[in-house]
Amino acid sequence: MTRRTAGVVGTYLVLLAGAVLALGPYVLSLLTSLKEPAQLARRATLTWPAPWTGQNYADVLGGQYTLVPALVVTVQVVLVLLVGQLVCSVLAAYAFARVPFPGRRLLFGGYLATMMVPQVVTIVPLYVMFAQAGLRNTFWGIVLPTLFGSPFAVYLLREHFRAVPQDLEDAARLDGCGTLRILRHVVVPLSRPVLATLAVITVVSQWNNFLWPLIITTGPTWQTLTVATANLQSQYNGNWTLVTAATTLAMAPLVVLFLLVNKHVTESISLTGFR
Amino acid sequence: MRTRRTRDAVTGWALLAPSLLGTVVFLLVPVGVALWLSLQRWDLVSPARWAGLDNYATVLSDAGIRHSFAVTLLFTVLVIPVQTALGLFVAVLLARRLPGSTFFRVLYVVPWVCAPLVVGLVWRWVFDPSTGALNAILGTRVEWLTSHTLALPAVAFVTVWTQVGYVALFFLAGLAGIPAQLADAARVDGAGPWRVFWSITLPLLRPTTSFVLITGIISSFQVFDTVYAMTGGGPGGATSLLAYEIYSEAFTALRMGRAAAIAVVLTVVLVVLTLAQRWWFGRRTTYEVAS
Repeated sequence: MTRRTAGVVGTYLVLLAGAVLALGPYVLSLLTSLKEPAQLARRATLTWPAPWTGQNYADVLGGQYTLVPALVVTVQVVLVLLVGQLVCSVLAAYAFARVPFPGRRLLFGGYLATMMVPQVVTIVPLYVMFAQAGLRNTFWGIVLPTLFGSPFAVYLLREHFRAVPQDLEDAARLDGCGTLRILRHVVVPLSRPVLATLAVITVVSQWNNFLWPLIITTGPTWQTLTVATANLQSQYNGNWTLVTAATTLAMAPLVVLFLLVNKHVTESISLTGFR
Repeated sequence: MRTRRTRDAVTGWALLAPSLLGTVVFLLVPVGVALWLSLQRWDLVSPARWAGLDNYATVLSDAGIRHSFAVTLLFTVLVIPVQTALGLFVAVLLARRLPGSTFFRVLYVVPWVCAPLVVGLVWRWVFDPSTGALNAILGTRVEWLTSHTLALPAVAFVTVWTQVGYVALFFLAGLAGIPAQLADAARVDGAGPWRVFWSITLPLLRPTTSFVLITGIISSFQVFDTVYAMTGGGPGGATSLLAYEIYSEAFTALRMGRAAAIAVVLTVVLVVLTLAQRWWFGRRTTYEVAS
């Protein structure tokens, strides 16, 4: 064997070991979720389910532990935030990129500075503010803090909007287009890749969000999927066949979404986090 | 001319209004409220009372809070070097572009896509002493998450596990930006693969490394979900990272002022870190390569 083929074989071995490590917990917890509690109790952790059962999923989806309402709330939250964040960020980013209004540079500097504020400092005061405003345990209580987009999204989009050829915009303006029509028919279509990336980032981060929904909701009405899963675990501690069914269900939609758009995402994560 | 300027001003501020409103009300005002809260003694029930700098004095002197700062620092020291080195290693392997590299790249990012809370619960099962996968594989009966010495490394391990693929993406992008002719030239001059890596690849990756390090440190200072899911801060505060400490001060102990004071101190640390990194990074020579 030449040195080169040895290198190739070694690379594949390491990559495979990494794949086993990355997937192992998912596969094992999926198998656990398909077992009867009695089988797991016999320490049959690493064996195939015998018999295979869908009872854990039936329990988690129906009956007393149902995750379905939480799933519905989560989908609503994600959709509303997706629209709100994209629209607000696009408008603001265009103003920063192309409209020479007074105070623009100063304000953009302020936006950059706010990117340094960590979530951990706003969470307690936000809770206090929302409690005073009577927004605890409401739909708007969950979505309002992030509904208007993030300084990061504005910054990212501004960079891309600046790269849209000015000539195209000027031509559209000569044809009588107003700012909003230029945005809709010129700028947005030309920025589709970065908007798609931003959309995926929004969906992923909101689907996975936990701390804010945890503190702003109480009881089952408005709890999101992450909160419901955490509650289920603490309520049925040790009942792992049930809990792994819940975790599998909570992760499945995002993993499927990710695998559908993966190429796009993995190639553009570096683009968004960087520069 | 004048009308054009007025029109631009109106358009600009109108487009900006929703975003600006959100930023002011849900980001800047809360920072102000946090500063105000940190000067109060308040349990959310009885009226708030002025406390001056008492909460800050407590943050500096209270054994539990100081322990939390120490645990967070130790956690960062455990996570950051390993996650950065592994991320770079994986990226170098993927950058060879062998057939199937895309498959592995996507696979490694899956842990990062899943909710940290849910991932934490999955690992809580893996670490479960009686029916968990780890003890079954090792044939042991170790109490991983209730052990004073093992709990924090376990949480750190899970954090690294979720981040490696994500970190590798940045290094992949960085590696792709290094012109091949530099390494080729070095090889012509007789440099071996290690020499090329140390003397060419690594120095040219400095912007990426710097970015990965600083964003990694900032996020490791704010880890909450994994702790909540795996250990609840236990045993005996062994995994009580600062974000979790703030949460339990505010919503379990109902000490809003103290929670806000910890958050303010942590924010100052993070902002100083960010600025120091920018200054350090701006000061260093950057390597410009004409392509």
